[in-house]
Amino acid sequence: MKDEKLAIVTFLCNWCSYEGADKAGNARLNCPSNIRIIRVMCSGRIEPQFVIQAFIDGASGVLILGCHPGDCHYKKGNYKAIRRISLLKKMLRQFGIEQDRVRLDWVSASEGERFAKVANEMAETIEQLGPLPELKILN
Amino acid sequence: MQERIGVFVCKCGPNIGDKIDVDTIVNEVKNIDGVVTAKSHNLLCSNDGLEFLKEEIIKGNLSRVVVAACTPKMYEQKFMNTCEEAGLNPFLFHMTNIREQVAWVTPDKILATEKARKLCLAAINRMSFQEPIEKKEIDVQPDVLVVGGGVAGLEATLTLTAKGRKIILVEKDDSGKTETTESAQFRRVYLVEKSPCIGGVSARFEEVYQTMECAPCMLSPELQEVLQKENVETLTYSEVEEIVGSFGNFTVKIRRKARYVSEEACIGCNACFEPCPIEIPNQYDGGLSKRKAIYLPYAGALPNVPVIDRLNCLHLNGKECNACEQACAFGAINFEDEDRLIEKNVGAIILAVGSKLSDPTQFPQFGYGKYDNVLSAIQLERLNASNGPTGGKILLRNGQEPKSIAFIYCVGRKEKGYCSGICCMYMSALAHHVKEKLPDVKIYSFYTDLCLPKKEHQKIFEKVLAKGVEFIRSDGSEYVDYDGKKLIVKYKTESSVKSVLADMVILAPPVEPAKDIEKLAKLLDIPLDEHGFFSEEHILMKPFGAPLEGVFVVGTCQGPKDIGDSVAQGSASAGKILSRLMLGEKLELEPIVAEIDEEICCGCNTCIGLCPFSAIHRDVEKKVSVIDDTLCRGCGTCVAACPTGATKAKNFTMEQISAEIMEVAK
Repeated sequence: MKDEKLAIVTFLCNWCSYEGADKAGNARLNCPSNIRIIRVMCSGRIEPQFVIQAFIDGASGVLILGCHPGDCHYKKGNYKAIRRISLLKKMLRQFGIEQDRVRLDWVSASEGERFAKVANEMAETIEQLGPLPELKILN
Repeated sequence: MQERIGVFVCKCGPNIGDKIDVDTIVNEVKNIDGVVTAKSHNLLCSNDGLEFLKEEIIKGNLSRVVVAACTPKMYEQKFMNTCEEAGLNPFLFHMTNIREQVAWVTPDKILATEKARKLCLAAINRMSFQEPIEKKEIDVQPDVLVVGGGVAGLEATLTLTAKGRKIILVEKDDSGKTETTESAQFRRVYLVEKSPCIGGVSARFEEVYQTMECAPCMLSPELQEVLQKENVETLTYSEVEEIVGSFGNFTVKIRRKARYVSEEACIGCNACFEPCPIEIPNQYDGGLSKRKAIYLPYAGALPNVPVIDRLNCLHLNGKECNACEQACAFGAINFEDEDRLIEKNVGAIILAVGSKLSDPTQFPQFGYGKYDNVLSAIQLERLNASNGPTGGKILLRNGQEPKSIAFIYCVGRKEKGYCSGICCMYMSALAHHVKEKLPDVKIYSFYTDLCLPKKEHQKIFEKVLAKGVEFIRSDGSEYVDYDGKKLIVKYKTESSVKSVLADMVILAPPVEPAKDIEKLAKLLDIPLDEHGFFSEEHILMKPFGAPLEGVFVVGTCQGPKDIGDSVAQGSASAGKILSRLMLGEKLELEPIVAEIDEEICCGCNTCIGLCPFSAIHRDVEKKVSVIDDTLCRGCGTCVAACPTGATKAKNFTMEQISAEIMEVAK
């Protein structure tokens, strides 16, 4: 069995991906228990600081899911998320944090299966990477 | 003050109860500082459950409530209402999802319990940062601006003004006596139309697809009703110049162009036309007829008050002429008339400015403008109209009847990159009308693709086929030439290049946005699509709502469509407005919005460009950004970008999200 102790802080937008996660539940699809969900209104609300804080507080990965590009409930919040998270990932590398520990992806309100797939893939990635070594630079 | 937190975990029968060790969680959270009550319930969303929750809140004098149950998409609102009934602000409540996102996706009970525990701890940790949010209401202006007097705008106007509302006010005076006063309230609509008359493009058609009825007959009851309604102010020959404000309260400046004919004095006898010495092509007839400098676009146009075209009038250009003034028995001519700017206050705006057929000279292969008898569909439409230049006769420029006509569909479709979707229908209708008037005429119809949706269209197409109209499929590369006597239409089929001879060629050019669209888009700061039509908020779910609250884009200014669809959108937009801008009531605003602390804001303007709803503006005096509550939808994109932390997303604050991260990241 997978080690489901490595926390993956998962931000879901209220309109698409949160409902996608609910659909995974409705369909009783297995999702790793270390996917820990926080609901926000839009992926555009995610401050890079939240990602850094998640790592400081002990997370091994951060998953951010929004509406598919072009489908954002707020028109273009997810495009803002793309810009912010790409920049953040470049910065994380300089901190010695593997870029794969952060994943930004899209799940629509109907895509329960896709949510389960992305969640399982992320858990797999984090299991391979193992726990985040303590990084003094972050504290 | 120490918060008094209550935590309620729902077992949802066996759904959560069998998958998660609820008792362990309840026992653990009981001991957390601030938690005064932690209980489980078998079915919290049931009437029993809600009653239980309400009693617990009151009994425990709870100041914060956490519910761990199903997805908030199901019953969050129900629980919030219960909190409110118990006297607690609903935003002091938070719901965490341990059914869809835990119990149903995690078969291992130990792992599921651990995940649910973490989510409960996160919700409890959030509690100290929970803030009450008060519902905000604003006084609304129920009046509406409708721009464009075509079918969509007319329908919207009539729907909006169909019924007033009786307001009954009961007041008690000091002695306990009640006094009842009744007052009627009516919604006013300002219908602004750029041209001198209302009715739009549809009024030009003799017989409209698909009922084949006379458009002026179909429209005139509506036109008369609009003109006679007390609560409709029809402002023809007028243009919108400025719009400020937001949903519920827009201020609009309208330019009433000088008509030089008094609307009060003129009785519409049209005696002024005849003596006017100026003659210029009448664009309303596609330039096929002439009009005077004092004119109405067509006989019977409403309102029946002519205008003087200031560019062409001799008198207005310093020449000696007052022929119209002398001909008017009612003293209605006023050469001193000036443009006037008027201001109106409205709660919502419907843009129904329509579209136009592209100028076919853009597509030179068809010889339009080069050969006399190459006409656009709207010109044939006017030839066919009994109030048109030939009194309804289909004639060549030399006055003779055509023996053969080539209809070319899909003109410019390739260049424009979209199908106008109505040409196949009106071209069939035109072929039908021509065949009725000239049964022996030979008609060739060149098409690349036929677009015949809707329940009536195929039938009419088949009728036209039965009348002997020859449909020829080509690849869209038709070319029109002239041999000195006849027009030659050359076309390619899959195997060869062929040609037919015709006396007349009718083109169906693409429907394109009206000129005013760009100006209005700029005034309101709303987007246009790649073809220049207004963008709708969501093509399927909000097909006529502009991406700005309280603004609607209806009819063909949103994209090519037929009369029926335009009318439907006009009516639907009015319905949207009627359901929100109620007479005598207030407008409830979205509670979860962002706000800016002007003490902290450094005035960098970063947020302004990010807002997808143009809800943020700069207060020039204070040098800070300000969010308009009526426009903000609460996405929080501006909050994430604020470099100083001055911007706060209500119910999703930095502190609240951080508190959740702290627990779930462990």
